[in-house]
Amino acid sequence: MLETAAGDFAWDSAASIAAAVTAGRVGATHIVEATLARIRERDPLLNSFTAVTERRALACAKALDAAQAKRERLPALAGVPFAVKNLFDLAGLPTLAGSKINRDLPPAPRDAALTERLETAGAILVGALNMGEYAYDFTGENIHDGPSRNPHDLNRMTGGSSGGAGAAVGGGLVPLALGSDTNGSIRVPASLCGVFGLKPTYGRLTRARTFPFVASLDHLGPFARTTRDLALAYDAMQGFDADDPACADRAAEPVMPLLDRGADGLRIAVAGGYFKGKTAEAVAAVDCVAAALGANHDIEIPQAEHARSAAFIITASEGASLHLDRLRARARDYDPAVRDRLIAGAMTPASLVMKAQKFRRWYREEVLKLFADVDAILAPATPCTAPLIGQQTFKLDEVELPVRANLGLYTQPISFIGLPVVAVPVPLAPLPIAVQIIAAPWREDVALRVAYALEAQGVVAAPRPAL
Amino acid sequence: MKRKAGRKAKPALARRSRPARATAKRRPENSTGAFVAASAQALGLTLDPAWHASIAFNLRLILRHAALVDEFALPDDAEPAPVFHA
Repeated sequence: MLETAAGDFAWDSAASIAAAVTAGRVGATHIVEATLARIRERDPLLNSFTAVTERRALACAKALDAAQAKRERLPALAGVPFAVKNLFDLAGLPTLAGSKINRDLPPAPRDAALTERLETAGAILVGALNMGEYAYDFTGENIHDGPSRNPHDLNRMTGGSSGGAGAAVGGGLVPLALGSDTNGSIRVPASLCGVFGLKPTYGRLTRARTFPFVASLDHLGPFARTTRDLALAYDAMQGFDADDPACADRAAEPVMPLLDRGADGLRIAVAGGYFKGKTAEAVAAVDCVAAALGANHDIEIPQAEHARSAAFIITASEGASLHLDRLRARARDYDPAVRDRLIAGAMTPASLVMKAQKFRRWYREEVLKLFADVDAILAPATPCTAPLIGQQTFKLDEVELPVRANLGLYTQPISFIGLPVVAVPVPLAPLPIAVQIIAAPWREDVALRVAYALEAQGVVAAPRPAL
Repeated sequence: MKRKAGRKAKPALARRSRPARATAKRRPENSTGAFVAASAQALGLTLDPAWHASIAFNLRLILRHAALVDEFALPDDAEPAPVFHA
């Protein structure tokens, strides 16, 4: 229900906002004005936005209100405010990708394809979001724009690299945001900020007109506070696009009509071995979800540790190749932590990178065999709840490890072979943590159905922070 | 490319002791530093000396991960997946 009495739409779902705008119960302009006011009020705390597209948003809202007044049929996301990680092209703005260097780029001539598709569906862009520099990040910290801050504890990390997206959705600034996920950059901030995140199958959603990181691993996807909102946005963004060479030539496969099927009849297992939680909170989150689904047996994802290592090598090398010219010309303008990783990646012998690519194909074949016996696999999304901003190390299984490199411990072996995943937030106190629902390629419907069933049971939910 | 019969990936890790892996694992820190300097020259990268230690640290981290992958036995006809299709 809309909180119309309070005049505050901060915690309404995208679905309820679209329904209210479509029915004429509230104007899109009113929704957008309330959103812009919230951003002005709360974002100085969260530091999630790097640009607010106020004029553009109000113009879109007025056009929608005019269409509604003429009783025109409004699309599925009519009047829903959304924001995008600042590696998405936005016409008229340079595409920062979290960097200082890209501020010198000319303004993008056209929006990213997914931004266009959401706007075609009636959603209204309100701005661009903070992120880790060039997406080589799991923390949500940014040396140029400052860290995005966790809405559940402003002293803690959002996770990254789509940190602004986690903060903006989790903090009630927008009901919907888009991010990217190369090794976990949607699932990690979804976990630490307590929101839902969808990383679709590699090749499902077009990446056209976004700033890349690792071409063979880059995915884009939505953040939201409900499964239904994830599904609405996902359905609006599906479909082939020749402008992304990796985009699969598949017809859209809408999931909204399938959500109500829930998890009935699905075979669900828990990832064992490498994926067994290393902290009490990760164990509790997976146990809670598994119990609700009656998932009472473990399944071994073969050689997951090797998969993570292979993803690490490919990321370092491909990412370095993308940045080599900039590293030659402007190395001092990078965040030193990112620069030194990229330079090391440039020096990685090609023979070792090719071995990682060969391992990747072997691993894919082995993991796909598992889906003959199960429909979905559960695993933690992060090894722990949100660390403190600036924290360099944490203890996992009594071993001191660097935070920056290890927050994606559980996400990397999955995105490595492009499997679809929904990260579902378990509202533990005092901080949330997410569980990955992993499905076979092109079976986003399965992962979303399981998420929807868990949400209906009250097991997973985006907790509302006391901001 | 046709696969040769019996040349499929081995089902379990076959730990092979090969010179390449041993080199990657045992490379001393000072040789990594020398490798960083030589690679920077080959790649046309100008490095501030203050960056060397951090770059060498990151390179050693990558090589540790590479050593793990390197020890995994794959057949000669294993195809790489540089452009992945799910």
